[in-house]
Amino acid sequence: MKESLLEILCCPLDKHDLELENADYDDEEVVGGNLVCTECGEAYPIEDGIPNLLPPDMREETPA
Amino acid sequence: MAGDQDRESNRDEVARREDVRDTYDRIATHFASTREYAWPEVEAFVDAHARDGVGLDLGCGNCRHAELLAADCESVVGFDVSRGLLETGRDRARERAFAVELIQGDAATLPLAENSVDIAVYVATLHHLPTRAARRDSLDELARVLSPDGRALVSAWSTAHDRFDATEGFDTTVEWTLPGGEPVDRFYHIYAPDEFEADLADSDLALRESALSSGNCYATVAGAEPTG
Repeated sequence: MKESLLEILCCPLDKHDLELENADYDDEEVVGGNLVCTECGEAYPIEDGIPNLLPPDMREETPA
Repeated sequence: MAGDQDRESNRDEVARREDVRDTYDRIATHFASTREYAWPEVEAFVDAHARDGVGLDLGCGNCRHAELLAADCESVVGFDVSRGLLETGRDRARERAFAVELIQGDAATLPLAENSVDIAVYVATLHHLPTRAARRDSLDELARVLSPDGRALVSAWSTAHDRFDATEGFDTTVEWTLPGGEPVDRFYHIYAPDEFEADLADSDLALRESALSSGNCYATVAGAEPTG
């Protein structure tokens, strides 16, 4: 994802802003790290460049 | 205890939504390979309402409609519950050199800011949400993220399709057959056309036009009116 995407992203639960933490970059792409809600503190992982913003109760590992 | 039943029912619903995600993760590559072309109804909508700004393909699958939006929009978001499908979207964007930002999420709890979207395509996705409450939530969420002068195209499979005899909406599963012949069930809610319009009318979206085409209900909608 591009860092500029943060301008329109929010927490799926409470709709508050997200902050990028522990970001890994590949050129201008953010390929890893966490998006953390500034209100509730929930952390959403960026997995191979794609943020996983599923609500936590739908996020558990997909069976192989 | 009613609370226990609510929790039980919530667990059941989450499980059913995860089933849809897992199904599409499983069939993603084959499914995407059969979804080469944009729908003509979506092309007509994008031609009529295309604009600068942010485009959203909600339930993007392999991003064939995100690709249409990318021709006009400043930026385009491809959004899907299935990680496997998003990866097919990323492949298509690379092969065809269009730009799309991919997000994995749930259509009933959008992680997008209010009024952040100028044009949206929400086709063939609403019917995969397992309860009317979840479908209604997703329409309200679309209204929240769509700017008041933004437009979205919403579609769902309908009872008007040749393969169905029913006149009332119903829940069903429709098999997807993998290349080896293995069947995989997918949940669908098949909408009666008047039920589709009623759900839109009850939502925060403003209904502008509706139509039936190729066995699908379509509606062009606008975002929620500003309050206060």
